Amino acid sequence: MRGKRFFRGTTGIYDPNLTPLIDVCLVLVVILLVATPMTLQSGIAVARAAKGGKSGVEARASRIEITIQDDQNLTVNRTPVARSELRSVLRPLFAASQTRDVIVSCADGVSHGTFVSVLDEAKVDGAGRIAVMGR
Amino acid sequence: MRRRLAPRNELITRINVTPIIDVALVLVIILLVTAPMLSVADLPVDLPTAHTREAEDERNVSITLSSGGHVAVDDEVVTRSQLRSKLAERLRQPGNEGVLVVVRADAGAPYSAVRELLADARAAGAKRLAIATRQSTEVPR
Repeated sequence: MRGKRFFRGTTGIYDPNLTPLIDVCLVLVVILLVATPMTLQSGIAVARAAKGGKSGVEARASRIEITIQDDQNLTVNRTPVARSELRSVLRPLFAASQTRDVIVSCADGVSHGTFVSVLDEAKVDGAGRIAVMGR
Repeated sequence: MRRRLAPRNELITRINVTPIIDVALVLVIILLVTAPMLSVADLPVDLPTAHTREAEDERNVSITLSSGGHVAVDDEVVTRSQLRSKLAERLRQPGNEGVLVVVRADAGAPYSAVRELLADARAAGAKRLAIATRQSTEVPR
């Protein structure tokens, strides 16, 4: 009995060669795994508000002012609000506001993460433009 | 001129280079596509998470504030005093008129530092600003 059957000249390779396809797919998978954390970066558009800007009565009535005092305490339109209640307070205000503009001011010691989470909650609840109050 | 065909009974003894060329071309394309995304400084930054998705695929100039307090404009690390001039230089480059300026600050950084970056960006001529976040995969309540 002969151990191995050798390729004969009259026989062709009829199966499609899948090696290049598999190579390319594996490279794509590796690239996607590496690039995913980079492409998941997103952003929140902000403007800078100057003190004294838009002082009209109508503008003041339609905009919502959020002040972040520390990690747990906020004021919304000068009314103290607990951090956990922010969204339930904002929803009716956005429903009533025509422009849904928000002005955010924040104390120096507050972490950037807390600041962004407040902006994010406002955006999720329907905030339009967000302006950040400068010093 | 007639093409020379391989005799029927001849084995293919050459190395098949098609797969390596395929892989190399895919790598080149991937690098071309991802190169603009990689123009950020190699500083440790833990971006805050958020659900909001704005200004995702837009070309931008980035300001990075690392957890260690280092600052960079795009991929160039600069000192705090150089920031405004370097950023203004970037914004004056052709094609950068009205470009989005993204502030990539570490979640643990104090807000006062971020506010100063935003103020510097405005002073350098930035017309549009955004704060970079890491996309949250959780569904908002």
